[in-house]
Amino acid sequence: MTEAALPAPVAAPSVDRERLAAIGFVLPSFVIIAGVFALPLVLLLGVSIVDANGLTFANYKRLLGTPYYLGVVWNSLRLGLLTTLIAFLISYPAAFALARARGALRSVLLATLFLPLAASVIVKAFAWTILLRSDGIVNETLMALGIIEDPIRMIFTETALIVGAANIFLPFMILPIYAIVAQLDRRYAEAAATLGASPIVAFFRVILPLTLPGIIAGVALVFSLSVSAYVVPTLLIGEKYPTLATAIAKAYLLAREPGFGAAAGVVLLAIAIAVVALSARLSREPK
Amino acid sequence: MSEAAPHLVVRSVSKRYGPTTVLDHIDLTIRRGELVTLLGPSGCGKTTLLRAIAGLAQPDTGKVELAGRDITHVPPHKRNVGVVFQSYALFPHLTVAGNIAFGLKVRGAARREIDAAVERALSLVKLGHLAGRRISALSGGQQQRVALARAIAVEPDVLLFDEALSALDRKLREEMQVELRRLLQDVKATAIFVTHDQDEALTMSDRVAVMNKGRIEQLAEPRELYLRPASLFALNFVGLSTRIAGTVLAAGNGKVEVETKVGRLSALGNFQAGSPVIVAARPEQFRIGEQSEANTAAGRVRSVVFQGSRTLVEVDAGAGESLLAELSGRDGAIPVVHDEIRLSWPVTETFAFPMEMQA
Repeated sequence: MTEAALPAPVAAPSVDRERLAAIGFVLPSFVIIAGVFALPLVLLLGVSIVDANGLTFANYKRLLGTPYYLGVVWNSLRLGLLTTLIAFLISYPAAFALARARGALRSVLLATLFLPLAASVIVKAFAWTILLRSDGIVNETLMALGIIEDPIRMIFTETALIVGAANIFLPFMILPIYAIVAQLDRRYAEAAATLGASPIVAFFRVILPLTLPGIIAGVALVFSLSVSAYVVPTLLIGEKYPTLATAIAKAYLLAREPGFGAAAGVVLLAIAIAVVALSARLSREPK
Repeated sequence: MSEAAPHLVVRSVSKRYGPTTVLDHIDLTIRRGELVTLLGPSGCGKTTLLRAIAGLAQPDTGKVELAGRDITHVPPHKRNVGVVFQSYALFPHLTVAGNIAFGLKVRGAARREIDAAVERALSLVKLGHLAGRRISALSGGQQQRVALARAIAVEPDVLLFDEALSALDRKLREEMQVELRRLLQDVKATAIFVTHDQDEALTMSDRVAVMNKGRIEQLAEPRELYLRPASLFALNFVGLSTRIAGTVLAAGNGKVEVETKVGRLSALGNFQAGSPVIVAARPEQFRIGEQSEANTAAGRVRSVVFQGSRTLVEVDAGAGESLLAELSGRDGAIPVVHDEIRLSWPVTETFAFPMEMQA
């Protein structure tokens, strides 16, 4: 660096400037994500393991050590798993129907999927209570047809809860599967057929593996939505089916036990993260 | 070869999609070990015919027989055909070996048998070193070979190629044409190619079926197809030609005298006097100057295109007609643009076709 008279190379500062510009663009979103998502999670974890006397695991012991709260965890898991299963069974054929539909029919079908997303989940949950209550449309219709004499108890049952949740979260399963199916070359099925695969064999060996990424995305979405659902179980089944989400609300709003509520939140989050991480792993290594 | 029993027989197969007739009573018989091309423009029905043979499209009428078995109503997975698709349709979730093994696996073949067949198919297409690769890690040419290996591995009764080479670039395509033909002859495969590429058709096939509007216009060996086109469509679709419109003045003995704007020409053909016809000849039949038993016409050279071993000369013969001559340069000087020259060509290589409405 003895040639001090030489002008400084032009490239170096311009690279620095580019890098600075890139950092400048990334920084705001990084700050927002850190402040709005990461920080609260750290605080949540902190609140769950610290009380007036210092570090404690009492909240976790209570949550995972007493039969009642284990039941609550199990209820949440059950709600998540059953809702995901029902939603998948409906969505998979529906996604194919949607992908095969042409023109106006496809637009109408897509609209019926998208429009409910604009309505609040509370509205949809209430709609199910209206449908399913003793003097609701379903019971009235069945009685009018003479199929039943007395109203069937449907509302406030687990069946009502799962059916309602599956319906409300359905678009989150159909859309990712549909996105994959719509891209699927029909030649794959034809190639499988000419190679000697019957339609059923072709489905399990070719179509299902090729649509797996969509299934995994849909499962991750619907599971994390339904395992943590609050409004849906509150309105469709209520007190007798406590879940982690309702337990959290109770801990914060009624019992004034933020530490316990935070612990329940961390467990719920851990369950959701485990499922999403598993899905990501499965979709990275097909087969 | 001609003694061999028919291996694939298509009898009066028709197919309509709505108001459009895609296949119009197609008859086609292919012998074992024969390589046949269905050649034609898009929409001529060639792909639909291939799909009807594969079982992917159900014909409205007619029969398809393969290896002595009526397969008209047999679903594709029980036909024992091999299809190489234009897009290859290789399974992206399987490896190269997994793709090739697929057909044998779904047939429930034994593990050892599958491994041996995969190895054989891979070495046939010279891709043995890529067995464990993912499909997405292959080049277009390699994918083409895997698709071929996958179709061959199940030892199908007939191999069907749907524009299988058209996704390759020109140089690779020409190499594959020669290699594929040799490979198919080595394994004694019976194969049908669908293509719109006349070079591919002439290079690859024992016989070529020129298709137009759901019909086979001509089924012939490549050489005969070129030298004795059966219709104006076949003439146009394969190779270059000079075409001059005219009216038949006199006819007899399989020959016609035709009045055209470039003078009176003689041609082979059977027509009534007064019929409107097109007189045609291939460019390599033209010579500069006179020759006996020949048609002749004069004009001014419009363009000269040097093509290595030969030179294409286009001559403006006046009245909107032009002549296309291919000169070797061996028997005379090559003219230059604006030269006034006289060309002649043998009457026995001049054909008359009925004038038809061109789409």
